[in-house]
Amino acid sequence: MTPNANVGSVTNVPNTQWLLPFGWALLLLISIMGMPLLESVFRWVEPDARQVIYSRAAFYELLGRHVLVVGVAAVVTITAGVLAGIAVTRERGRDFLPLVGQLASLGQTFPPVAVLALAVPVLGFGTLPIIVALMLYGLLPIVRNTLAGINDVDATIKEAAQAMGMTPWQVLRHVELPLAAPVILAGVRTSVTINIATAALGATVGASNLGDPIIAGIVNGNMAYVLQGALLIALLALSVDSAFNVYQQRLRRRLSAF
Amino acid sequence: MIELSHVSKRFGDETAVDDITLRVAKGKFCALVGTSGCGKSTTLRMINRLIEHSSGDIILDGQSIEQYDPVKLRRRIGYVIQSTGLFPHWNVARNIGLVPRLLKWPATEITARVEELMGVLGLPVGEFAHKYPHQLSGGQAQRVGVARALAADPDILLMDEPFGALDPITREKLQDELAKLQSRLHKTVVFVTHDMDEALRLADHLVVMRDGRIVQQGSPLALLQQPADPFVDSLLGGLERGLKQAALTRVKDHMTSLGPTLPAQSRIPTDFSLRQALSMMLRDHCDRLTVVDQNDMPIGELSLRRIVKEAQLDKVSQRDA
Repeated sequence: MTPNANVGSVTNVPNTQWLLPFGWALLLLISIMGMPLLESVFRWVEPDARQVIYSRAAFYELLGRHVLVVGVAAVVTITAGVLAGIAVTRERGRDFLPLVGQLASLGQTFPPVAVLALAVPVLGFGTLPIIVALMLYGLLPIVRNTLAGINDVDATIKEAAQAMGMTPWQVLRHVELPLAAPVILAGVRTSVTINIATAALGATVGASNLGDPIIAGIVNGNMAYVLQGALLIALLALSVDSAFNVYQQRLRRRLSAF
Repeated sequence: MIELSHVSKRFGDETAVDDITLRVAKGKFCALVGTSGCGKSTTLRMINRLIEHSSGDIILDGQSIEQYDPVKLRRRIGYVIQSTGLFPHWNVARNIGLVPRLLKWPATEITARVEELMGVLGLPVGEFAHKYPHQLSGGQAQRVGVARALAADPDILLMDEPFGALDPITREKLQDELAKLQSRLHKTVVFVTHDMDEALRLADHLVVMRDGRIVQQGSPLALLQQPADPFVDSLLGGLERGLKQAALTRVKDHMTSLGPTLPAQSRIPTDFSLRQALSMMLRDHCDRLTVVDQNDMPIGELSLRRIVKEAQLDKVSQRDA
């Protein structure tokens, strides 16, 4: 009786929670499809421009490339960041903990623009330099939160797990990672959300994405273009961020002891 | 059976456990007692290799613990700690079933075992199986902790101040239940506590530790009658020792057959302790009690004079032995 009632209430709540991310995503789609319909609004911003709706590439194509760049960078950063965080919290890797922490901080203190400038001569123009820049920029929140999440797991719980006869791998897989998951996810959320905005810089090195209208607008003095790019990036960031928020709260509720 | 011979543990320059020798026979309850930092917890944790000992031998069922794989060794030793160490993201049933699952028991057997243990420890399955640790009271959580330790039916149980964080009433209740459980299951138990009364209530074998060394070990009565030094004496309660000894002695061991005199007004069942008998004498202003059986039928007599005399005799015979 009670378990069923619990399951029911757990599945019922998120239905309304998902409304917000879906709302933002819907708004993003509408903006992409219906941007030409807003011509009169943008005409009011730039009355003298020859053209007020960015049309060098379709918005959905720019969105697709934007998502791809952020997505590839995120997959690499999450994999590398979480693995590094796990490695240096193991007994054998403890010596490397300060080193990894500092490297990750260095990645974030190094401005992405500078990374781009340095990466282009080596990697050429296009998508690759911006992916590298995003990877370096997004690593810190993930590494930092993985370290914090794992280190915050109550030592007596870890010891109990070991004392019950769990192997180190089982302790990690069944105790440390599940308990650290909300904190790690918070790091991923920060990293991805920041990188959605930062990816726009890619437009300066020929990686066409939602940054294109912004750069083109700045170069041509067309504020309408800038607004269109900024609007779409903001809506994408809000969709993703609110989706993470829902997921994070579900995880938290599952671990509601904290 | 657990045997420690000349076991030491050093952390750097510091010696936490210094050359201790200890033998816990199969099915016996051994309590390690001492003040904080005396090495009792370290001793306990060396047995399941959470801490590796520096020198000496620890033998489990005739085999040195170094010959066991630590993971497999721990799966056959139950472990209970003060903070319970329950997994906060697992419900009660899953927490209890941990070790059987690690041992890859079939799912139906695990469920049956978990429900059996919940019954034994007074946790109704319908009410508790799906609760999470944060929804439990301290006493309930520790019951789950004990159930988890017993899940795979280990021969050996290590308990590190399991009831230390509980309120006195819950603590006493759990002590009673543990004593009853032990009289049925006959596990080989090593129990760490700084509460001497708890140790006296539960232990067959009492080990007093100080500064990493064993100061004295023996049966609770032996220690009460003959503390080795002032430290053990003070741990045992100094002046209270007499009453503590009385608490460990049953009325039936000191009663005499009904005499020709009129039976005393106050009645006491045979399985009560001498301490309770003394208390009753004080309460009822008398120096004789009538001892009754379960059906309240008089079967003997207990007199204050005799108790006092025999306590002295106990002491003398102890000294001679």
